[in-house]
Amino acid sequence: MKALVTGAAGFVGSSLSDALLQAGHEVTGVDCFVDYYARALKEDNLKKARQSSSYNFVEASLVDAELSGLLEGVDWVFHQAAQAGVRASWGADFRIYSDNNVYATQRLLEACLAASVSKLVYASSSSVYGDTRDLPMTESSATRPVSPYGVTKLAGEHLVSLYSVNYGLPTVVLRYFTVYGPRQRPDMAFNRFIRSTLEGGEITLYGDGEQSRDFTFVDDIVAANMAAAAAPVTGELLNIGGGSRITVNEVLALIGDITGREPQVKRHDKQKGDVVHTVADTSRALELIGYKPAVGLREGLSRERDWLQSLDAGLIAAMGAV
Amino acid sequence: MKNDPGLLDVLACPSCKGRLQYTSDEKLFCDACRLVFDVKDGVPVLLVEEAEPAD
Ligand SMILES: NC(=O)c1ccc[n+]([C@@H]2O[C@H](COP(=O)([O-])OP(=O)(O)OC[C@H]3O[C@@H](n4cnc5c(N)ncnc54)[C@H](O)[C@@H]3O)[C@@H](O)[C@H]2O)c1
Ligand SMILES: [Zn+2]
Repeated sequence: MKALVTGAAGFVGSSLSDALLQAGHEVTGVDCFVDYYARALKEDNLKKARQSSSYNFVEASLVDAELSGLLEGVDWVFHQAAQAGVRASWGADFRIYSDNNVYATQRLLEACLAASVSKLVYASSSSVYGDTRDLPMTESSATRPVSPYGVTKLAGEHLVSLYSVNYGLPTVVLRYFTVYGPRQRPDMAFNRFIRSTLEGGEITLYGDGEQSRDFTFVDDIVAANMAAAAAPVTGELLNIGGGSRITVNEVLALIGDITGREPQVKRHDKQKGDVVHTVADTSRALELIGYKPAVGLREGLSRERDWLQSLDAGLIAAMGAV
Repeated sequence: MKNDPGLLDVLACPSCKGRLQYTSDEKLFCDACRLVFDVKDGVPVLLVEEAEPAD
């Protein structure tokens, strides 16, 4: 198959591209290197794919690129591009979120109508649910995002559904629950926690650490994307979680274990927009695309640690402060 | 990377959406906008902010 991966230089997009190439597919990646984190890290993410003779990469933004050429002959579109980050979505930078998460998605959908795409998979987020006491979160739970970021991801979902219902565009929306593993964004908690513990530094923690999350290893996210593309389902919306709920304090203990060092934690007040608990009910994804998370937290964290330890000092420095 | 010549053929200008010409010095040129887009290590850079004005 021929796939277009948007956000192909990012954490999930690059991991997915590598897996598609590994499985013998042809991949075109597109990314505009938004400056949310260092370009050097994204260039490093691309290294493996760029060795493949089945890979093309174009530096362009979905906000203004003419997409018809990129979609020529494409069967599967994996829309991973987005401006990530919950905290930065408040205030003056909101425009970056509405452009890259909403407008870019609408442009991609329009372009898909004119092409012969057999499936568009949209990367959504558990942040569309917001704070809810209704746990575990099922696909029919209420959506009340508590951050502007969550609002833009939900708007993207709605656009995808509209194009599916009104034009018959074959789509699947995947709601990822906190993703971690090799290439995890440097602003994300596990990356900061492991780096800081390895360096003997101090971890900044928002909240009391009793907030719990459903953490999903990146390979499971990748497998869900590939299964959603291949499965004969359309117009569906599926939770993709890691299969276990664990508190941040438990994660810190596990990081202590796998690094052989005691994490030093400095606690701060909870930030606005942070969700307290997330737990995914993934039974629908199991039923419709055969999704079952395969990698547990200890193994996943160890693989993220191995990746961080394999990077040279320059790339670690490019990740910025822990 | 494949550096697919077919791909270079179908790429368009992000400003006017018009066709781009692949030049002899391995860049992409939009005649209408008079903009030159670089191809760095085989990667077309189709960002208006990064494009150079022609002449
Ligand atoms: N990482 C997580 O825990 C998580 C959780 C839920 C959902 N998601 C979703 O998964 C997707 C991937 O997230 P990630 O963690 O890999 O983030 P990331 O920032 O590493 O990757 C996203 C990539 O998209 C690119 N991009 C942004 N706007 C673009 C545009 N207009 N045109 C072209 N490229 C553009 C960025 O440059 C970046 O490389 C996103 O849609 C995100 O909302 C991620
Ligand atoms: Zn032009």
